[in-house]
Amino acid sequence: MKSFLYNMGYFLKETGRIIKLNLLSNVFSVIGTALILFLLGVVITGTNIGNRLVVMLSEEAEINGYFSEITMEEREKLVKKVNKINGVRSVRLVDEIEAKDRMEDILGDEASILELFEDNPFEAFIEIRIDLNLIDNILNDLKTMKEIEYVRDNREVLKSIEDITSGLKLLGYLMMVAVGITTIIILSHMIRQGIYNNKDQINTLRLLGSPSAFIGFPYILTGILLTLLGGIIATVSIVLLINLLYESFAGTIPFMPLPPRSQLLDKMTLLITSISLLLGFVGSLFGLSSIRER
Amino acid sequence: MIKVNDVSLIYPDGTKALKDVNLHIKAGELVYITGHSGSGKTSLLKLIMGMEYPTRGNVTVLGESIKKNNAGKIKKVRKSIGPVFQEFKLIEGRTAFENVMIGMRIQGIKPKLMKQKAHEALEKVGLGHKKLSKVENLSWGETQRVAIARAVARKPSLILADEPTGNLDYDNAVNILGLLKTFLDKDTAIVITTHATHLINEETNATFIRVDNGNIKIERGDLYHEEFSL
Repeated sequence: MKSFLYNMGYFLKETGRIIKLNLLSNVFSVIGTALILFLLGVVITGTNIGNRLVVMLSEEAEINGYFSEITMEEREKLVKKVNKINGVRSVRLVDEIEAKDRMEDILGDEASILELFEDNPFEAFIEIRIDLNLIDNILNDLKTMKEIEYVRDNREVLKSIEDITSGLKLLGYLMMVAVGITTIIILSHMIRQGIYNNKDQINTLRLLGSPSAFIGFPYILTGILLTLLGGIIATVSIVLLINLLYESFAGTIPFMPLPPRSQLLDKMTLLITSISLLLGFVGSLFGLSSIRER
Repeated sequence: MIKVNDVSLIYPDGTKALKDVNLHIKAGELVYITGHSGSGKTSLLKLIMGMEYPTRGNVTVLGESIKKNNAGKIKKVRKSIGPVFQEFKLIEGRTAFENVMIGMRIQGIKPKLMKQKAHEALEKVGLGHKKLSKVENLSWGETQRVAIARAVARKPSLILADEPTGNLDYDNAVNILGLLKTFLDKDTAIVITTHATHLINEETNATFIRVDNGNIKIERGDLYHEEFSL
């Protein structure tokens, strides 16, 4: 341990020398690693946004219950009855006028088309906010109520989003494995090449009684430094991409429930940096395992 | 310090490098190993360095057995040896000073002390003024001196020099042998291989080991002198 501390300057110098010895190859490995980590970052960012979308939609999940011709008093009774169903968060009565107002808001400039109707074509309904996990039970209970004629839910939409997110997650895991293996192969190859180029020096160190850890440490530092550089380039690219994405979404799809930008940026920076450090360490160890004893 | 008991060394291709060799070298001893090229001198040094393992018999260096399953202990032994290799094995691209320090780095010596020792060793071999020169820019004789400085700076218990006079003219060869002898003390043994017997036949107070076709003959001081003076 002492010899490691006393020789830290030497190890850093050696690391620099190993990198310079094969500068062009090392630059290409950094670029390759950066591209791979960038792709991983894109997939993880996509998964994050998809997850957030599903959570937000789940929290906002609501179904609409349409009823037959009933009196105002019966409507209020129905609201109270529905409110008691397990999994129902809140119930609100939307009368015919509010239903029409909402449609006018949605249609905006095109709302004048509604003036073609002599009478209000919209029906009153009850808006039910629910716990999405209990949607089946709630629908069953609603079906047993004779006042309810039919229920409109957006389960298909939610299911599609969940499926897309699951797909993204799976893609993310596959990408992680692929990135891991590729980076380890690239890096261990670079380290092996470095060892081969320095085989005379390594042999001399061995004959002077140097332990393997002493010989190998600069190579581990080299591996970590190369992937870290790749990780930094990938992180900067991802940060630029996320910023661009948020600005585009803010302008075109303002209702898109994106995770807070700073939170996503921090998460991605930490994740890509940690992955690059870990891969650098593991890749170097693999490369070092090729040093033969004696 | 070095015990070689009934040792034979046969290389994988069947070459018998050493045959039933027995040898005992004590601290404070100066030993010359002579013999023509291919006689087995370097093989004997390789055994002592743990670069080869005996096919038969036992080699013990500084209390540790040189055998295949003792790699950790062999590393420890090597830390206490100051080797001067035939082909120097200096690290190119580094200065003489850095090369001398590398031998001490693995011993965990404090940087300040390490620099001081490296400087002293280079001064002693007469290369203090060239300590910042890259080793590839030095002459053959100067490179040899850097290799000696690296070997002695770490204060080894055993200095092993393989053909240190090879490729040197007479005056330089005599100087190098003289220089190596200055590092002999009661705690340090020096083993030198050479085929240049004319350089050492004036030598007294040394042990001479003649290697011939894998067999060794040990003689001390004047006996050797007489044999080679004839």
